[in-house]
Amino acid sequence: MDKKKLRKQLAVIALLIVMFAGLDLAIYQLFIKRVISHHSPGMQKMSVEVANYVPFTGSENIYPADGVQRLEGDIPTIDGAAALLPVYAGFVESIYPEDSVIYNGESYDHESAMHYTNTRGAYKDIVDGNADIIICAQPSDEQLAYAAENGVELEMVQIGSDAFVFIVNANNPVDDITVDQIRGIYSGQITNWSELGGNSMPIAAMHRNEGSGSQTALEKLMGDMPIVPDYTTLVGSPIGFSFRYYVTGMLAEGGVKILKINGIEPTAETIADGSYPVSGGIYAVYRKGETNENVYKAVDFMLSPEGQKIVEDSGYIPVN
Amino acid sequence: MKDKTFAIILAAVMIIGIGTTAALIIHGYNLWKEISIVEMIANWGY
Repeated sequence: MDKKKLRKQLAVIALLIVMFAGLDLAIYQLFIKRVISHHSPGMQKMSVEVANYVPFTGSENIYPADGVQRLEGDIPTIDGAAALLPVYAGFVESIYPEDSVIYNGESYDHESAMHYTNTRGAYKDIVDGNADIIICAQPSDEQLAYAAENGVELEMVQIGSDAFVFIVNANNPVDDITVDQIRGIYSGQITNWSELGGNSMPIAAMHRNEGSGSQTALEKLMGDMPIVPDYTTLVGSPIGFSFRYYVTGMLAEGGVKILKINGIEPTAETIADGSYPVSGGIYAVYRKGETNENVYKAVDFMLSPEGQKIVEDSGYIPVN
Repeated sequence: MKDKTFAIILAAVMIIGIGTTAALIIHGYNLWKEISIVEMIANWGY
């Protein structure tokens, strides 16, 4: 009798141990393994290696213009998106006084004329008056509403463009997708890769934070179609989105593949001639009615041949 | 095995199991907040 009871007790304990081990293994395989960053702590924290794009440090990732007149007097504070850090770091190194940039090794000082708070922070800061020029993609409806609530009208000057790209794992056999299929995926109407010529596997449609530059680009691409949350993320094969140069140039992540859209590959030529269907503008944004004349001088420089060469050398498509 | 011993072992297994699971989830959530979408897709496999 006692032996029978002991066997039962041991079986219960063993079952519990196996259950917990199975659960933890599943959590690791389905979730943790997929979110371990192989990049440095700097990139893990900020998505890009900020220290590689600090002006006046001799960085090889910045392409300043030579012999351009520097701003004097009231130096405008500049900020912007992560993906556009090389562009505005190039502008700053070209026309800002060297002592206006204060970087403490991890982040920019509050007093520095260059900040880096990414798209969401930059749109907030331009409205709140903590930045005078920001270099970003288009604002979201929420960011425009925040500006309107605070009585700020934003002036947007296009200084370049880049492709809005959709990415999949490098092993995914699908190479090509249409704009309608993208809308189908993110509206929940297309849910399996087999519908796009791939293997029979659920599509994990990944999103970014509200207000990020690429999430806003997706919202604009979707138009009136609602973006449906995807609850199959953990079991499917993913599709995500970003900007071309961020994927190919700044992260240089070989484990992903950029999809052609409507059969067109996003290259400098197809973005410039408009044949790639989902290009996005890069804008210099400032407050309408700005009284600091250096803001206008800086924007004029961005549109000048020297400024446009910085846009091009940094990996983006110039407008002029 | 006495019922009391069994209860203690059971409680210990539950505490260690739940603790480990919770720690894994918290660790994963912290990693998820910091990773870029591009790298996550690269890790995902197909």
